[in-house]
Amino acid sequence: MAAFFNKFRRPRRLNTPVQKPVNSSGGQNSQRQSGPGHTSQSRTLSSDIEDNLRSLKEIFNQCNDIIFREFLFAQREHIKLALIYIDGLTDKSQVSDQIMRTLSLEVPTATDKAAITKENAWHYIKMRGLCVHQLQESQKLEDVINAILSGDSILLVDGHATALIVGSRGWAARSIEESKTETVVRGPRESFVETLRTNTSMLRRKIKNPNLKIEALQLGEVTKTDIAVIYIKGIASDGLVQEVKNRLSKIKIDAVLESGYIEELIRDHPFSVFPTLSHTDRPDRVAANLLEGRVAIMVDGTPMVLVAPYLFIEAIQTPEDYYEQSFFMSGVRMLRIISMVIALTLPSLYIAIVSFHHEMLPTPLLLSIAAQREAVPFPVFVEALLMELAFEIIREAGIRLPRDVGQAVSIVAALIIGQAAVQAGLVAGATIIVVALTAMASFTVYYSGSFTFRLLRFPLMFLAASFGLFGIVGGVIAMVVHMASLRSFGVPYLAPLGPVITEDLKDSAVRAPWWAMRKRPHLIGQNNPQREAPGMQPRPPQPKNK
Amino acid sequence: MLEGGKISSGQAVFLNITMIIATAMLAVPAIAAVHARQDAWLSMLLATLLALPIAWVTASLGTLFPGKTLVEYTEDILGKWPGKLLGLLYLLWFIHICSIMIREYGNFLIDVFMPETPLIVINILGAALAAYTVKNGLEVLARVNQIFLPIILISVILIFLLALPEMKLERFLPVFEAETVKIFKGAIVPWGWMGEIITFAMLIPFLAQPGQTRHTAVITIPLVGLFFTLLAVASVAVFGPVFSNMNFPVLNAARVINIANFIDRPEPIIMAIWIIGGLLKISIFYYVSVLGFAQWLNLKDYRPLVLPVGVILIALSIAVAENMLELTHFLGNVSPYELLTFELVIPLTLLLIALVRRQGGNRQ
Repeated sequence: MAAFFNKFRRPRRLNTPVQKPVNSSGGQNSQRQSGPGHTSQSRTLSSDIEDNLRSLKEIFNQCNDIIFREFLFAQREHIKLALIYIDGLTDKSQVSDQIMRTLSLEVPTATDKAAITKENAWHYIKMRGLCVHQLQESQKLEDVINAILSGDSILLVDGHATALIVGSRGWAARSIEESKTETVVRGPRESFVETLRTNTSMLRRKIKNPNLKIEALQLGEVTKTDIAVIYIKGIASDGLVQEVKNRLSKIKIDAVLESGYIEELIRDHPFSVFPTLSHTDRPDRVAANLLEGRVAIMVDGTPMVLVAPYLFIEAIQTPEDYYEQSFFMSGVRMLRIISMVIALTLPSLYIAIVSFHHEMLPTPLLLSIAAQREAVPFPVFVEALLMELAFEIIREAGIRLPRDVGQAVSIVAALIIGQAAVQAGLVAGATIIVVALTAMASFTVYYSGSFTFRLLRFPLMFLAASFGLFGIVGGVIAMVVHMASLRSFGVPYLAPLGPVITEDLKDSAVRAPWWAMRKRPHLIGQNNPQREAPGMQPRPPQPKNK
Repeated sequence: MLEGGKISSGQAVFLNITMIIATAMLAVPAIAAVHARQDAWLSMLLATLLALPIAWVTASLGTLFPGKTLVEYTEDILGKWPGKLLGLLYLLWFIHICSIMIREYGNFLIDVFMPETPLIVINILGAALAAYTVKNGLEVLARVNQIFLPIILISVILIFLLALPEMKLERFLPVFEAETVKIFKGAIVPWGWMGEIITFAMLIPFLAQPGQTRHTAVITIPLVGLFFTLLAVASVAVFGPVFSNMNFPVLNAARVINIANFIDRPEPIIMAIWIIGGLLKISIFYYVSVLGFAQWLNLKDYRPLVLPVGVILIALSIAVAENMLELTHFLGNVSPYELLTFELVIPLTLLLIALVRRQGGNRQ
């Protein structure tokens, strides 16, 4: 991986080592090598089908999933056709029924035999011979190669230098399932899958508007991964869309296997631990974000869609907040704020109080903690650090372990790290409570945001152990100063809290009812601020008699 | 322009409030009560009235010389060399009060919460945090301040709300027991503190809406005065006139709180307020000194000065007084005159000269 990033750091040298594999599968190298002697790799197709087949076979040499199907268009003149596609990436029934069958059996018998000659065969096939929904044409070898690799079928007709690209993509894909990373009680269940087209269709189904723009581009010199930049024209500001596209266009990398690659390549502050782009696999979240004026970046092959800009306040927002009653969800948001503070500072507060500021605790509680800690051989900092580490290990193991051994691990973890550790006098019961509460609290906030808290918890614990409360507060101030200096695609990271945007506070620690949220977020949606008509507050009908 | 950022009028008011109350709120009621006893709250009201002209002078100078800070327009008013000299005096003054703040900051934490930690450690850490803030620029400072100031104000008010059971209104009686002179004497220190609004003269060029300069400066004083008065009222109600002997009545108020044996002595809140508020205030004055020096030296960027000025501040914060007693004596008896000279006498003179010589580009 390190070598991989080093390559990116020196974009000049990228071409030589990385494009070697491209060489065997054609692509861009054909351009560079197309000299006088390399007719087989010339960029355009020739009108001789044998010539084309030869060059394609040379390019796809030793790719045994490529199928070259040559057959005759049975007419008075025997016109040779060739169908080229990838086994496994194409819909086989479509290829055999709608292309092969019609061309080799139905068309030749159904039509007037005299009508088709070698000269008009291509045109005839294009206009009448194929019952497929998607058909393109190209004379460029590069397009043909890309189409084959994307799962389309290529139809070459003898005597014609233009290939027909038949849309026949279809491969084994995961079906749409319930979101695994963000579950809701009330709200849509579906989540994105690995296929870009399915994902865009899910968005399109939610936003039936021609202004929902889905712009395509390809990234990855080797992988040629499809990327879609999605925004709603008229809501997202043009500057933001342009900025996203600019940053994407600067990417030169061999592969994009997940949206995380792109996230790290386009973020504003590469050395900050705070995420400035969000990712989600929920279509409703992306749709809501688009409607606020944000831009989404979809990557083929991953259900995780990036959304920019991402602000800190979103860590405590979930899609469900907007579906369930506003009063209740406002309460839940405050709960999340409290958990956020707990997730970040509780272990360090515990350390600071037990080692420096005993007077902060009511005496009975202090005595109880002191009694528990009597048998513990370590200072409280070491104790808390050990338990935090133990918990992080359990959490990491919980993600990595094979499903079958899950039960065994959870029993061992609960018994040994919990009960046995207390009984053996290694840790105090209070420490376990603190660590457990911290762990639970960190799951209530946006998952990727919680990484930051997990990470920053440890420096805060060090600070608490050395300077007590002063260390914690100082550490938190430094964090806030750092966050205040961040921007995500030009938007201050701490908005609407710093700078305060009074109007946007309606969707921060509280969530105002829908009839009160008349405007989009000020800094993101200022292009088209009005979200709903005024006076939407429902009222019972007034009695008319006076 | 040395500073690229712009701040909104709201942010400026918040900065001004922090600039005055952050370090003052713990000690000021007690200092006023030394002279005025249970009439300390009257001193606060008087100080508010007296401080209004300072805010007005500050805003007038700022609107008279738009786009220029205090250090820059002294040259316009007095000519190159006298102006430079006065600018330097102001910079030294900023550094002086900033170092006093760092000293107070460290001393409070050590006296009250961490008696075994050396003073220099706290001072260095505090100054380092402030340096980090200053390095990030005015916009960041304004945003951070916007986040923390409401928390500070709400916490202080909460402390006194929680202390309500301890309050007795008879402690205000007799009203006007102190003579007018004593009430005035009690007002001098808070007046000097509120006069720190002159520092706003360094920030005026960075307002996003320059038209609101006067409004921004003048509205700060009643807000701060109201807050100080509330503090004084609450302190008197909880302790009676004896609180003039206390160093930090707010802290003591926190110590008497005990609600249902659950909320018991919430001093850590005071400590957090002090750490955050003090740091913000130090950052503002630190920023102003660094920015001013960069302008005074005609530099293109103020960031290279952050470290050297920081070192000076730390060294001076230790050297500024032998011990806390000396510092308190200085704050109560000497510094008001120093403060008011720089806050009222010099700016007023500058304004008069500017008006008489018909200087400045933006005269109404």
